[in-house]
Amino acid sequence: MKQIYRVALAGNPNCGKTTVFNLLTGARQHIGNYSGVTVERKTGRCRIEDIELEIIDLPGIYSLSSLSPEEKIAFDEILNNNIDLILNIIDAGNPQRNLYLTTQLAELNIPMLMVFNMIDDAERNGLVFDFSKIESFFGTQVITTVGTTGKGIQELKNKIFELVKYPHVSEPCRLKYGESADSAIADLSEKIDKLGLALTKRLPPRYFAIKMLENDETICSISELESLRTEILPIQERLTQRHGISAETFMADRRYGFISGVCREAIHISNERRRQFSDNIDKVMTNRWLGIPVFLIIMYLVFQFTFIVAEPMMGWIETFFGLVSWSIEEVWPTDTMPLLRAMVSEGIIGGVGGVLVFLPNILLLFLAIAFLEGTGYMSRAAFVMDGFMRIFGLHGKSFIPMLLGFGCTVPAVMATRTIESERDRLTTIMVLPLMSCGARLPIYALIIPAFFVNQYRALIMLIIYLIGIIMAMLGAMLLKSTLFKGEDEVFVLELPPYRMPTLRSIIIHMGERCLLYLKKAGTLILAASVIMFLINTFPAKTEFSVDYNAEIAKVEQTPGISSEIKSTRIAELETGRRKESLEYSLAGRIGRSMNVVMAPLGFDWRINSALVGAFAAKELFVSQLGILYAVSDADEESSPLRMHLVSNYSPLQAFTIMLFCLLSIPCIATVAVVLRETRSWLLTIGQMIGLIVLAYLVSLIVYQGGLFFNIGTEMVNVINGA
Amino acid sequence: MAIAEIISASGHAHTKDIAERLKVKMPSVTNALQALSARGLIRYQSHSPVVLTALGAEIAAVILRRHNALKSFFTEILKLNSDEAEDAACKIEHVIGEKVMSRIVTLREAIAERGDCVALREYLDGTMPQICADSKIAREDLIPLSELAIGHTAVVIKVGENLRGVRKFADLGLVNGTVVTMEGFAPLGNLMRVRVMGSSLSIRSNDAAHIKVKITQ
Repeated sequence: MKQIYRVALAGNPNCGKTTVFNLLTGARQHIGNYSGVTVERKTGRCRIEDIELEIIDLPGIYSLSSLSPEEKIAFDEILNNNIDLILNIIDAGNPQRNLYLTTQLAELNIPMLMVFNMIDDAERNGLVFDFSKIESFFGTQVITTVGTTGKGIQELKNKIFELVKYPHVSEPCRLKYGESADSAIADLSEKIDKLGLALTKRLPPRYFAIKMLENDETICSISELESLRTEILPIQERLTQRHGISAETFMADRRYGFISGVCREAIHISNERRRQFSDNIDKVMTNRWLGIPVFLIIMYLVFQFTFIVAEPMMGWIETFFGLVSWSIEEVWPTDTMPLLRAMVSEGIIGGVGGVLVFLPNILLLFLAIAFLEGTGYMSRAAFVMDGFMRIFGLHGKSFIPMLLGFGCTVPAVMATRTIESERDRLTTIMVLPLMSCGARLPIYALIIPAFFVNQYRALIMLIIYLIGIIMAMLGAMLLKSTLFKGEDEVFVLELPPYRMPTLRSIIIHMGERCLLYLKKAGTLILAASVIMFLINTFPAKTEFSVDYNAEIAKVEQTPGISSEIKSTRIAELETGRRKESLEYSLAGRIGRSMNVVMAPLGFDWRINSALVGAFAAKELFVSQLGILYAVSDADEESSPLRMHLVSNYSPLQAFTIMLFCLLSIPCIATVAVVLRETRSWLLTIGQMIGLIVLAYLVSLIVYQGGLFFNIGTEMVNVINGA
Repeated sequence: MAIAEIISASGHAHTKDIAERLKVKMPSVTNALQALSARGLIRYQSHSPVVLTALGAEIAAVILRRHNALKSFFTEILKLNSDEAEDAACKIEHVIGEKVMSRIVTLREAIAERGDCVALREYLDGTMPQICADSKIAREDLIPLSELAIGHTAVVIKVGENLRGVRKFADLGLVNGTVVTMEGFAPLGNLMRVRVMGSSLSIRSNDAAHIKVKITQ
């Protein structure tokens, strides 16, 4: 059997780890989740010469402690899996902070290679390295790379090959913790070694000793080490007395001391010009007064961008599906299996196609989010918005999942894993579905252009999103003052320097999301479309109030009217028939039975049945409406569905519909992920009920209020032109 | 103890002298004297000087001896000046027991007199006064990190023990001796950002208040 070597990439957040990972593995990546938790686990394959490597991209961490979920995961991965080589990626522009992790990795006695990434940036900023000295300090070799251009990657591969093929344990790191501490560590290591644990076969006892003295949660909770717990206290006390700092921070203090020594000897700064550009941008971006307005403008531009750029692309896709549907109907004779024919051309192509039309919107939104993430603006947004979030009992870190929530609620719920406080995390999850996700975008994208003139579209969109945000905030405030009461926890966030994200990383990210969306369209939405088609068709109505066939025949035979009028009349009759059979169908019945409750919101049975579809996936709302309004003479040039909507609803109704879709129950996928993340049926069901009640009340107030003040009850003619 | 000192100086003690010496109000002195009188340590009548009883004199002598022993430990071994030693001795003598006290006395005598402690004495002579001077500067110049003016640079001198998540901050480089630069505050709320080791960290001002820094420029 051929052996696969395991290589782990470890490094601080924002050190360009993922870029190196992408360069090493190319497209051969596998994204999954760490078991038990949902921090993303990325692995990829890489071949160098005749050896096969599995590359593991550990989450970005500052330290090998267990103070955050990421750190715990990285540590578990190293502890439990045989790692053949650690690639320690270091942002060469910021060695002091980055080498802190190195000091800890070096204590693991696992073969290691230091990769000074972004070396071009560092050199431009006047840093001069003496790598041979650094190598001797840490006992490992050094490679320099430039992730954005791929420079040094070949050398990196060669070095990996060499180190994996001919492994030798690196020389010990020269870090010492001082005489008294070192002897205590040596004593303790010996005792740990005597226990003969399986753990210490992989990692040196000294490492466990150090971590125990640091009060590391994970290590201290290892039951085999329980017996040594009592021996640690006196040692810690002695260290505290001797050095005047608590044992917890003693090691950190020593490590940084060692690093500053390394930096003094091996790194020279020729001119102090660091991050000048980035700092200047930040003077505006995170300014006390300008920060929030700038943030709002950026969000506005993102929405404007997703709308304007997507519009023509959506036209192409629409045309494409129209063509597919048309050619199927041409090729497939009407009388062979008419039901299946209808299901394929109306149900499947109508449903899936109706959803895929919005692929450009989703892609562009993810593009914008990926770009903002790549530049480093996301953490600024968290910084800027923290004060605002705190009014509602949340903090800046909840803000990043919420921003992701604009893309899709499912990854956003997963992203809450970075919030250390369980109370804050649950609060964030509970209100996350209120952040308008990408799947709701098709609904707005359908309705807004139909009812509102060009210059107001982005504004209406922003208002919808803002209502969601405000509701989320109020909900969070309520939850934090009742269910999840408690003190806030430590908050530390790094604001990385601004960087231009590489096109490659954005495209990879976009590609991932695109695939996920297509997968969803191909599975969940396809299945739901078929189900929706079936409940739209059955039970089939045989007896109509009017004999439509006869009526149509009558119109056709009436002499003395032009063919134009004839076809209009026929179309009217066809629509009437369709309407009757739809009302008779299961969907129609469900829709009508909901009427009693939903009528005060201005919804008719069509909207109601589309809302049922929206529970499966929000996008289905659009396709269900499409099916309900589908007409035989669909005109490909203008959007027929929009025309139907305009003739059936007032702008106020349209707005209320969007509002209800925004606030009401999350889709099945969200419910599932919320259940998995909260591990509580109570919270999951509570969230569903809460959201429905909220959606109903808000929609009711808006619709009835609108009716009362006579706002938007009639369509203005100018708007109709859209 | 104060009473004993005053008596040894002038033969007797007036309520007024005691109040002046202890920097307390007359009624408190009267109260305390009544309590001592009840325990049979002093003879006390209004408007006449306070006189120690035999028992009182004995206890006063013990207290005085303890005080002086501590004071000389602080002056001779820790090299504090007389005022500082007096101050520290007054605080400590009330809280330690006889056993601890006698061991401190033994330690002082050993260090001060034994021939094998010559090197130690020299070391203490050199080191102790410096520590003393440092702490004095520290007390005057230290400000909380949260009060550092924007654009100013400072060195972390002490990270408060009450700081939550102390190790987390330590992992990110906020340890003694680290240079930090204040970069500004977030809109609303209490977030601030500081430059630590070439990267920008955002932390809460109420956490930063526990980190004491000394301005470098």
